[in-house]
This record gives sequence, C-alpha cells and structure tokens, in this order.
Amino acid sequence: MTLNRTTAGSSLKKTIASLALVTAGMLAALALPAAADTVSWEAIADDAATTKDVLMYGMGLEGKRFSPLTQITTENVAKLVPAWSFSFGDEKQRGQETQALVHEGVIYITASYSRMFALDAKTGRKLWSYSARLPDDIRPCCDVVNRGAAIYGDKVFFGTLDASVVALNKDTGKVVWRKKFGNHKAGYTMTGAPTIIKDGKTGRVMLIHGSSGDEFGVVGQLYARDPDTGDEIWMRPLVEGHMGRLNGKDSTPTGNPQAPSWPRDKDGKLVDAWNHGGGAPWQSATFDTATNTIVIGAGNPAPWNGWARSPGDSLFTSGQAYVDPTTGELKGFYQHTPNDTWDFSGNNEIVLFDYTDASGKTIKASAHADRNGFFFVTDRNKLAAPGGEINRPTALIAAYPFVDGITWAKGFDTKTGRPIEVEGQRPPLPAEGESKGKVVEVSPPFLGGKNWNPMAYSEDTKLFYIPANHWKESYWTEHVTYKEGAAYLGMGFRIHKMFNDHVGILRAMDPQTGKIVWEHKEELPLWAGVVTTRGNLVFTGTGDGYLKAFDAKTGKELWKFQTGSGIVSSPVTWEQDGVQYVGVASGYGGAVPLWGGDMADLTTRVSQGGSFWVFKLSDIKVAGAN
Amino acid sequence: MPTPRPAPPASAIAALLVIAGPALADVPADPLGSVMWEVLAPAVFGDAPVVFDERVTVLAPADVENALAMPLAVDATALPDVREMVLVADLNPFPVVLRFEPLAARAFIATRIKVEQATAVRGAARTADGVWHVNGRLVDAAGGGCAAPPRAYAAGDWTRHLGEVQARAWPAADGSARLKLRVRHPMDTGLSAGIPAYFIDRLTVAGEDGRPLARIHPLEPVSEDPVFTLVALPAPGTRALALTGRDNNGIEFAATIPMTEAAP
Repeated sequence: MTLNRTTAGSSLKKTIASLALVTAGMLAALALPAAADTVSWEAIADDAATTKDVLMYGMGLEGKRFSPLTQITTENVAKLVPAWSFSFGDEKQRGQETQALVHEGVIYITASYSRMFALDAKTGRKLWSYSARLPDDIRPCCDVVNRGAAIYGDKVFFGTLDASVVALNKDTGKVVWRKKFGNHKAGYTMTGAPTIIKDGKTGRVMLIHGSSGDEFGVVGQLYARDPDTGDEIWMRPLVEGHMGRLNGKDSTPTGNPQAPSWPRDKDGKLVDAWNHGGGAPWQSATFDTATNTIVIGAGNPAPWNGWARSPGDSLFTSGQAYVDPTTGELKGFYQHTPNDTWDFSGNNEIVLFDYTDASGKTIKASAHADRNGFFFVTDRNKLAAPGGEINRPTALIAAYPFVDGITWAKGFDTKTGRPIEVEGQRPPLPAEGESKGKVVEVSPPFLGGKNWNPMAYSEDTKLFYIPANHWKESYWTEHVTYKEGAAYLGMGFRIHKMFNDHVGILRAMDPQTGKIVWEHKEELPLWAGVVTTRGNLVFTGTGDGYLKAFDAKTGKELWKFQTGSGIVSSPVTWEQDGVQYVGVASGYGGAVPLWGGDMADLTTRVSQGGSFWVFKLSDIKVAGAN
Repeated sequence: MPTPRPAPPASAIAALLVIAGPALADVPADPLGSVMWEVLAPAVFGDAPVVFDERVTVLAPADVENALAMPLAVDATALPDVREMVLVADLNPFPVVLRFEPLAARAFIATRIKVEQATAVRGAARTADGVWHVNGRLVDAAGGGCAAPPRAYAAGDWTRHLGEVQARAWPAADGSARLKLRVRHPMDTGLSAGIPAYFIDRLTVAGEDGRPLARIHPLEPVSEDPVFTLVALPAPGTRALALTGRDNNGIEFAATIPMTEAAP
C-alpha cells in the first residue's frame, strides 16, 4: 500500500503551524552560539590585557589573575548583586575547584566528576554539557575535582579523572578527540587545567598538560599535544634518569641518566622508589614568551617517606621546572624542598612578574608560594637558560615565610639557595620491631601553608594576595612498599589547628621585602583562588560559602555574598556590553574534608553544592535583558 | 529529562527550519495511529517526501518479552537505490534508534533495542529520489527498558571488556557477506540516575581496501552490548572486513572480521 501523501488532513497543518511558533523560538536560541568565532593564539597571548574574555587558566600567560577592569571599585562594590546562578545538577556534587573561561559571550566551566558546561554569559542559559562516563575505579587522591579548561581554535580541552584529555567542539560540546595517557588503576589521573602555548621557535601551537597521582607512586609526566588531533608531540618525566619521548620515540633521559640524586641499593641498583618517584606536574603551566619556556611546578617525590629515597635530593620533584617547548627538554630547575619528606610538593602556581632588586634593577622573576610555607622569588632568566646543570639552587633571589610557625626550616640561605633545615623535623624511622616511628609536630602540614588554590598579583599595588592557612600536623614514619593502585606514602599524619580563631589567612605580601602588608583571617581553611582588579579590589571565596571583596591596599572586607555551599574555586572577572561581571563556582570539597583531620568539625558543617554564580553592580543595566 | 542533552544535530535543526517556513510539508496520516507521528515525521524526515510503503518490512515481536533487548529488523531490499535507513520507536524517550547508510550493502539492518512502553516501531528507507518509504508495526510491552541501568554495572569493572568485538561474516554464493557483530558497551541512555548518556555513536564496516561498505549511527535506544546484522557487498576476493567505531566519549575501537569459509 502506497499512501498518497496529499491525504494529510488540514488539522495536521494546523498542528504544524502551532509547532512552528515553538520551534522558531528554539531556533533563535540555537543560532546564538553557532556564530561564535574561533580562538587565535594572539588572543590567548593577549588575555591578561583584554577584558572581554578569559582565555587562560590564570587569566594570562603569566598567571597573575589581575584584571584591568574598573567598573567595580572599592567605592561601589557594596552594590554587587547576583546576575544569575546556574546549577551543575545531577547527584554529583563534591568539590568544584574550577576556573571559568569566557569567550564571545559564552562561559566554559568544568565541574566535579569530569563534566563541562557551556553557558550563555549574559543569562546563564545552558548551551550544552558534557559528562564523561568514568570507570568505577578511578583514584583521585584529593576529591573528584577539575580545575578548568583550555580553549583554542574551535575546541575546548580538559582532563578527566580516568587519566585522559578530551577535546570538545566549543559550539556543540561533541567530542573531537580523546587521549588516555596513563593507567587510572595505577593512580594516574588529571585534575589540572591544560594550557595552550605557542613554541616561539617552530611557531607550533601546543596543548600542555601534566598528570596527577604522586600519592600512588606514579612517575610525573608533562605532555605536549597537537591541539587539532591530540597526538603527543613530546613527554617529559620529572624523575631524574627516566626517559623522555619526542615524536613517538625515546628522546633523552631527564637530567643525568645515572640519577645521582636518587640512592642505590647494596647491589648498585637504583632504589625501588625511583621507579615510582612522583614529581607529577598536576597544576597548570605559565609561559614565558621572552625565553620561550614552559614554567610549571613539579609534585612531591614518592613515597612521602624520605628514608626510602635517602641520601639524595630526589630530583626533579618538589620544585619549579623550566621546559623547552620545541623538544620537551628540561632546561632549568629550582627545588623548593630538597628530599621532600613532608609532601610539600612544588605544584603551586608559578606567577611570572618583574622583580625590582635593592639597586632598582628589574629582574624577570618567578613567584611561588609553596606548601612548605615560604614565598620564593627566583631568577626566571637564569632558570630558563639552556645548557649547564639543570638544578640551579643559586637562581633563588629571596624566600620569605608567608605563614606563622614554620617548624621544618629556619629559612633559606640565599647564597646556596638551600633551606636551613631544623634538626629532628624529619620523622625518624620506626624502632626495631615497631610499626611506626616517633611522632614529630610539623608546620606547615602536608596540606601546606598554601595549597593549589592560586594567588593573584596586582600590577597596581605590586602585592601578591596569598590564600594561606595556619595549621600543623602530628607526623610519623611507617613502613612502605609499593603496590600498584595503593597509596604509597610510608607516613602517618593528623592535622591540627594552630590557632583557635582561624585557619585561613589571606595575606598581602610585598615581594620586594617579604613584608606582610595586610591579612584577613577566616575560620575555615582557605581553598579558593584569588583575583585582583584595577578597581583596587581583591576577590576570593571562603570555605563557609562566601564570595568576598577586599580593599587591595588595606585588606578591609567590603562585601560578601553567601553562595549556599563552600567555595573552593578560582573567581574570574570579565566585561560584556559595558557590564563588568564577577563569576565563581560554589561547591565544597577538595582535600580538606577528606584529609583535614581536626578540620572535620569545621568542614562537616558545610553543605554540598555545585553551581556557578555571576555578579554585577545593581545599578548597571544589562542591554537586551528583561 | 535528568541528563542534559546536547544541541540537536544540524539535520534536526534543518527539519525545524523547514516547517517554520511558509510552505508546510504534507505528511501522510499514520496508519498506526501513533500520537507521536505528527511531531516525529518532520523532525526525522525534514521536508523530504514521505510515503507509507509495504515494500519496507519491519520485523518485531508483537509482545516484547525483554524490554531491554527487543529484536528489530528492517528490510528495504525490495526498494531500488536505498541511500539511508532510519529506525524509530515512537514512544521511547529518544525515539530515533539508529541511522544506517548501506554504501555497499543491502538495504537491511537488524539490531536489538530498549523499549520504554508499548509503541509503534518503524523502519524508513530513503531512495535515491529523496523519498522516504516508511512502514511499521505496533509492539506491546510492559516497558521500562530505557531507564534501567545496564547489567554490566552489576558485574564489577564494566570497563574491562569495553569495546570488545565479537563478529562473524558469512560469504554467500552471490558475493555478498552476511555480517553479525556485537560490541561490548553499556549504551547508557542518560536516564538512569547518576549515569551520564554514554553510547556508541558511529560504526563503519569497510573492505580490505579501506572502502567503507556501511555506516551505522546508533543512538540511546540501542541495547547494551549492541548487536547488528547487515549484508555487505565487498569487492570480490575480500578475505576480511574491518570494523571501526567510536562512542560519544571519544573512545575508539576496531576489529578485523575474517570471512568464514563459504559453505561447499
């Protein structure tokens, strides 16, 4: 039977006509993001200066998290109100440690459990979402977080908890490519935001990303990929003597192939810890175009227990690495904590800035607030120079304590570039027949004087704003053997409060002198990033759920808003159609509720959540909005 | 709809554009009387002409015993020059089951699908002149097939066998090869609480020379560990077929399927 298609009744036409009204509205909505332009390298390189977009984690190649926007100031910030809020939805909540990207009126925001959303920046309307289907046996040490995406061309890129990197079409959210780089069952994972750079020598644009997993004895690896295909260009391991890769072939070992910074056993073989030595670069790189250098922090050595790695400095862990983008060679390295036995790691962000020395001379420098409690200023040009010894302790310009009560070192010797360690702070081995060693009290604890949450640097005040914490730990040694997929620590710990009235301490530091210009105390640990603006403002979030604004010069708290869950993410600010917006993700989690010991009485008070909040001044009208 | 859906594909948008225009496409009345037909027809077929045509055979059980895996076969080999086929289950939350391009293959596809409730199931074939030829039947079902979590999740590590392919090709005397394949995959609809949509969305069967013979574009309703049967028309002397595929997370898989010795 072939029906004549003209037999359709007129009632059907009416139905279609009414349907057309509905679909016309849908089409107008759908048309909006499709017209968006692609993202060029030039736009990324200029991110710090342009206010209409946020194209990089760190809001610029140098990671300063400084915006030249001035609509919101110390005078009017009290009038900041929510413009909209978006819920990440699902039953999946936990920590939201992300930083948003903004391009052509679209916000790209990642969320816990390897999700990403594209939102209309003006209204918060969802344009698309992507949710990775994760295996059941992923092993993120410190919550199911993601810290953000990278954007380039017509794609957005982010890491997933099963040790993969995914590229999505930025307009549709469809997967373009996916590359799995490590075995998630052995502890490899990815939580940091990848970074787009352009190799100044070859002109090639690359996607740079690392891995996580030091707590499971991974070998930390830094990768460069072709953003169009995801194909690996090079891979650089950060444990001395491990072999790198370039164009699919073995390239060079990292540093000295004999790995003299790692011990050998009585048979002359490198100790087992060397095979699982950590150093994972799990945060995001900054990029120095002048010297064509990728700058990134290297993670803690594995296991935490330093006796398994003694004698030796355990290079290239717990320090800052300077990598040649053309070849993936490690050019220079400064180690913040030689033979780190306290899980101080070296991952915290490295901000590139101009340091003025006592004689008034400007030095291209790197700034880094380490988990070990010291704020490091290093000579970037010395560390980025090719050739010679890779480990360059004398590149140190200054190391200032930025938290109170540091016990493990008295300070740093700026001549040798090494710490002046306090004897007895490395917990002793268990006595014969004992399962654990003598307990030592250490500060900062392994969660750090400051953790991953990035600081900001103001081009106006020339101050760094450091989201720090005051706490300490009981710390002792345990026996350790490597087993794939199991925690590889060899240490026991319990974190305690240092002061009754606060744990979190937001501090403004003058990098020329190490002077603390102002400070602000918080009852809960600080685990959110910071952004600062030309409006003389500093924004950060608190564990108990407030987004707060401070006077950048005085530290006076000027405004706060309760977002309903704890904030452990990095706020950003941008401008669209003459309106300055501030955006931040809310949703409590991260390492503190899992590992924070005595912090439990503080953290269990905080509700779970998962949302993105956007604020603007109440008396600024949004064109075209109802 | 608990899990967010991506934007509709360009073809669906094009379909909506057309009906929004002044010249409304005529769609023949549905002999199965499905409440979804008037909405589905323009979304699936756009402004292309549509005819009901008994030369398309739709094989499905009258009563669905297993709502997680109902066999469904559509045979349009009685039509000349079929370029594309589409399978639809009207009352499923996501009605379109799959699209099939028989590039060098017979206009025949069989699979197993999830069924949410009693529904019309349809097969449609687009011939070279752009006309969609549609037929279908009603199936009765207790339902619930689209919101149940896959069985694989009860068995420990579901990723262990992900993407594994079991397949066999039987060459016939006329040069065709009947191909039956199964890929291990949970094929999540996104409707089970806490589990995002996760399914194979492209499969290509190629000859030894790399020439694609057929493409399958499965969607949410295709059953866990999806099974497909088709009849490829490979070049003479072909000893093996190549299967490649990808899921919506970008995970890729591939298999080589040797031809079974022809029966004497």
